[in-house]
Amino acid sequence: MADYTKPLPIPDIDSQPFWDRCKAHELSAQRCGECGKFRWPPQAFCPHCYSWKFDWTKLSETGTVYSFVVVHYVSIPAFEGDVPYVVAHITLDNTDDQITMISNVIQCPWQEVRIGMPVRLVFEDVTSEVALPKFRPM
Amino acid sequence: MPEQAIKDKTAIVGIGWTAFSRKSGVTTLTLAAEASLKAIADAGLQVQDIDGVVSFYHRQPEGQMVRELVRALGLKKCNFEFYSDGGGGWNCGAVLSGAMLVHSGICKNVLVFKARNRYSQGRAARAERANDVKGDAQFTTPFGIHHAAASFGPIATAHMARYGTTTLDFAHLAVTERSHAALNQKAMMRKPITIEDHQNSRWIIYPFRLLDCCQESDGGVALVITSAERAHDLKHAPVYIMSGMGGQGQTAGLWETNGVNSAPLLYEGAGITPKDVSIAEIYDPFTFMCMTHIEDFGLVKKGDIGGWVTAGHNRLDGTLPVNTHGGLMSEAHIHGLNHVIEAVQQLRPEGVVDDLCDGPHTYDRSTCRQVRNPEIALVCGECGESAMLLRRA
Repeated sequence: MADYTKPLPIPDIDSQPFWDRCKAHELSAQRCGECGKFRWPPQAFCPHCYSWKFDWTKLSETGTVYSFVVVHYVSIPAFEGDVPYVVAHITLDNTDDQITMISNVIQCPWQEVRIGMPVRLVFEDVTSEVALPKFRPM
Repeated sequence: MPEQAIKDKTAIVGIGWTAFSRKSGVTTLTLAAEASLKAIADAGLQVQDIDGVVSFYHRQPEGQMVRELVRALGLKKCNFEFYSDGGGGWNCGAVLSGAMLVHSGICKNVLVFKARNRYSQGRAARAERANDVKGDAQFTTPFGIHHAAASFGPIATAHMARYGTTTLDFAHLAVTERSHAALNQKAMMRKPITIEDHQNSRWIIYPFRLLDCCQESDGGVALVITSAERAHDLKHAPVYIMSGMGGQGQTAGLWETNGVNSAPLLYEGAGITPKDVSIAEIYDPFTFMCMTHIEDFGLVKKGDIGGWVTAGHNRLDGTLPVNTHGGLMSEAHIHGLNHVIEAVQQLRPEGVVDDLCDGPHTYDRSTCRQVRNPEIALVCGECGESAMLLRRA
């Protein structure tokens, strides 16, 4: 893990709890303490009702591919060994379509990825401090 | 919605450009100054007549460009400087900012410019941006998104799944834009391409192949805006700014861009309908993005764009000529301000001055790029985040 050379996320005050929970292998997002809606990406207040009350809520470990691309050309050398790889928008189950995250679909030939494909969460411990939430076919 | 108060109150009266290349060999400030001096001369104005300067950038400003140009031009007085970070979405936003400065009375003659050495000096800047992992990028870069094709590709994939659009449809747009560029002396890519060339070009990021992607360029363009009243006394027939917008909102899904929000503002603001548009100069960082913008501005029914470009309706003699200069794809990537320059050229009584016609326009498509009698042009930026309607005098 020490030789992981790809860019790592730099958390901010709003997103630190998300990445901390990823490290503990829990995918989570903020849910408004007033209107109950999820939001993504993390921010201090609700974009629907503007309440500042929220809880970090554990999300479903399953979701659906909303759209995707297949990267054949990379600008960062560290990704060269991975091409072609899939970057997808994943809508998480049980969020009323309120949470769509960008991640990778792994453990699947790129030709088989389809919009609407059901996927399951899998964490990759890329360093001792950082785990990235990725998805594989169900 | 009533017509916009600014309708026909301002006009573009001067245009200028540098050579477009992969190695300008000069600073971006020099490019900005060359294009600006040409635009001011084209308007028949003196440099000291300029009292407002506007430009825009994406993520990394090209220095303090507006401030530096004001100094370089030796302007004794500049009433307003404006340098916005709207990126490729802001080509029309910059022009409208200039129009608003004139209409408000703060400025008399506003210079709007864009200059960049994005090919020769872009590699370092792109690497820096590719490694950005702060803010929103903390949720994309670690997963291998560091290219615009990866950001915009999901819009295309979603459209393909919903409407049956194919990458073969994309090919037709690429070929048509190149055929327009072949008639444009300043275009960087003028060698004709075929559908097969497109289909055989390598994948960059699926669903985009190499020939779906625009190029990077060194170059500058500039234009001058003044009031409709003052425009009458100047060298060229004015091209009036009818209506416009600049901003973004939400859409129903990935298959729509902000063009759906912009379109009603434009058409109702100008008191026209999409059927009245003669030509469209549409932001085209990727073939498909141009296609979805055409739909979202109501010029073609949503979902029908594949068949529409395959039938060639976007050609110079088609029902709606699109990107008559070759666009970002084949002319140059001057952040879409070159699209505005092309619209102005097409709408002037004398027409474009840099096609292959020797003398009056012949409309022979082996030499002539001028569209027959266009009256109204629609121009838009990335995702329809700014857009405007222009009309001939």
